[in-house]
Amino acid sequence: MLTNCSFTTEFSEFWEVVIKMAKKVSTEVVELLGNYGHIGFTFVAAIFIGLGGGIYLDEHFFDGSTSPWFTFIGLAFGILAGFKSLFDILRTPAAKTKDKDATG
Amino acid sequence: MEHPILFISLILEKLGLPIPHGLIGETFLEKMCQPYMTYTWFVMIFLVVVGKLTLSNIEMIPGKGQNFWEMLIGGMYDFFEENMGRELAEKLFPMIATFGLYIAVANLIGLIPGFMSPTASINTTVALTIIVWVTHHIIGIRAHGLGYIKHFLGPIPVLIPLMLFIEIISNIARLASLSIRLFGNIMAKETLLTILFILAGAYFAPLPIMVLGVLVSLVQAMVFVLLTVVYFGQANEHAH
Repeated sequence: MLTNCSFTTEFSEFWEVVIKMAKKVSTEVVELLGNYGHIGFTFVAAIFIGLGGGIYLDEHFFDGSTSPWFTFIGLAFGILAGFKSLFDILRTPAAKTKDKDATG
Repeated sequence: MEHPILFISLILEKLGLPIPHGLIGETFLEKMCQPYMTYTWFVMIFLVVVGKLTLSNIEMIPGKGQNFWEMLIGGMYDFFEENMGRELAEKLFPMIATFGLYIAVANLIGLIPGFMSPTASINTTVALTIIVWVTHHIIGIRAHGLGYIKHFLGPIPVLIPLMLFIEIISNIARLASLSIRLFGNIMAKETLLTILFILAGAYFAPLPIMVLGVLVSLVQAMVFVLLTVVYFGQANEHAH
């Protein structure tokens, strides 16, 4: 049977553990969001920059005479640049130290 | 998105200054009184005053205020040193730490009713991003001279025509993604809060979004600083 005293110590121990876990999880979440949360936007931005450059070359530089070609080439380069930026994110120092920590 | 109440704009209007009714003012004075300009000044004054109040007498045994700054600045400095080397960290610490503090405070200030985040305007974020983008090229050119172009040529000579365009596109994409990410996240937070305040402010509907807003604000400030440090470090190190 629980006395009042042991109940309060157990209670506070329980909350200490909960707070410790919450702190660990929240710092981990913030760290992961900081390191990898921008992957989606970087990828899309690269594709749109490539596509926009292609459309600009077609419509304004060559006045529409080469119409769909530079758009498609620009789109292809944009997609490649997007994948390349994904590799860049994996090569960042933050990701590297994370790997080292994981492997010991 | 027009805010319901912006108290600095109200004060300036009472003082007789012209407040622009749209997003962008017409005359020079109207441009200076745009909400994101006035709130940028407010954040700057806030940071200076808080720094002055807490750090006016620095002691060997730190008090509450000094302890907070020592922890924050020390943590930031260690992080920079780890990611871009001691020399570069010492040279560029003031700039990046200022950006980090400014963005964090500017993001968080929008959670208080009556204030807006200066970073919810794309002008602010593009200005910050252009400074970072130009600086990372300057660092690269200073470190490598003309050899900096090797960063854009890829690993093998055969692939140069392919890699050159890819690298240029992904470099310009940095400019776009760094600015639009910060702007988009903060503007979404502000707009959502405003709409929830108008719809159901009496029932504490914006409260859960405010909790998320704190997380988003801090994470976005951290992402900006992290990416700045990574770009500077990459420009400084040798081409792969």
